[in-house]
Amino acid sequence: MQNHLLIELAKRKPFQQIPEMPEGSEFDHTRGIWMYENKPLVSHSSKFGTQATKKCDMETGEDQKGE
Amino acid sequence: MIGTCLILSSIYDFSVDLVIQELEKRNTDYLRINKENLHNYEIRLNPVTKELHIAGEGINRTIINVKSIWFRQAVFLRNTPGDALSLEEQLSRSQWSAFLRGLMVFEDSYWMNWPASTYAAESKPYQLMIASEVGFKVPDTEIGNSFRDSKILNSRVIVKSLDTVLLREGDDCLFTYTSDVDPSELTNDRISSAPLTVQQYITEKTDIRVTIIGDDIFAVKITSNGAGIEDDWRLTKRELIEYTDIELPIDLIEKCRKYMKKLSLNFGAIDFIESNGNYYFIEINPTGEWGWLSNEVRKIETYIADALSR
Repeated sequence: MQNHLLIELAKRKPFQQIPEMPEGSEFDHTRGIWMYENKPLVSHSSKFGTQATKKCDMETGEDQKGE
Repeated sequence: MIGTCLILSSIYDFSVDLVIQELEKRNTDYLRINKENLHNYEIRLNPVTKELHIAGEGINRTIINVKSIWFRQAVFLRNTPGDALSLEEQLSRSQWSAFLRGLMVFEDSYWMNWPASTYAAESKPYQLMIASEVGFKVPDTEIGNSFRDSKILNSRVIVKSLDTVLLREGDDCLFTYTSDVDPSELTNDRISSAPLTVQQYITEKTDIRVTIIGDDIFAVKITSNGAGIEDDWRLTKRELIEYTDIELPIDLIEKCRKYMKKLSLNFGAIDFIESNGNYYFIEINPTGEWGWLSNEVRKIETYIADALSR
């Protein structure tokens, strides 16, 4: 049986359960933000910028809520 | 206003980090609760006294005054891409989701957005219908699993899913984008198993993203080499994409405000297509992303923080 058209049109990529975080980063549960070398990981002045991980929110982020 | 801002999010919801840094600058009391960590807390809610107790992960708080709630968790449970879930996982997902929705007991707080409004606005057919009602141009659209004898196939069309398609097969995940197809491909044997959206193809388009926070509106056009991107722009390499601030026509701004009011949303990200001076409504994302648009001169996070701090 032929796949549904939406499945045929879908783009494939390797599945990743969680994003690849920069090594040495950790979540500060009290502040509620990711930290890297005692500074916020995600900020305009961070060396990683506001797109701290390879899995930025542009592609599927707004579609994954509720998973 | 005195009280706590509750942020219901994911630990990997990086845009939240930007807003929290702004809340800290405003000395706004806040608490971020991530769905991945819910089981690590001791949580207790009294729905009548509206008392929320939460302890764990270095936090020990009793919250009785919630000034605002940033509800970043949509209300759907798609389970895609998904492995088979254990009994514990199934139970945990369904019950924690219900718990978070139960925070609607704080009905007098400022919500971004109220869950029922988010749920309604997530429905693509509903949002298109309301868009037409407020006066937006909406591309000809039909939704279903058969377009036999439909006039919509007499011209060029695009197809897209009715809800996000994020599937998993083995070590791969599959994600669908908006696709330009030949109408002859829409045969019943290829679409009867699930409905999809067929929409009029609009040529010479430029994608416009409008982010709305209360009364504040940010509009950018999305281009590559200064020109609109013919296909789904998300398929273009990021380094080749430009986001440029634009002024929207005043009547379009007024319709955006009317639309948000009609959907009872305090936040929304609307996608338009501009073609030959016409603006077509494509969709709204009530929990839409904006971190990819934020920069030193377009600090959307400050407006969100302001709204949550009032």
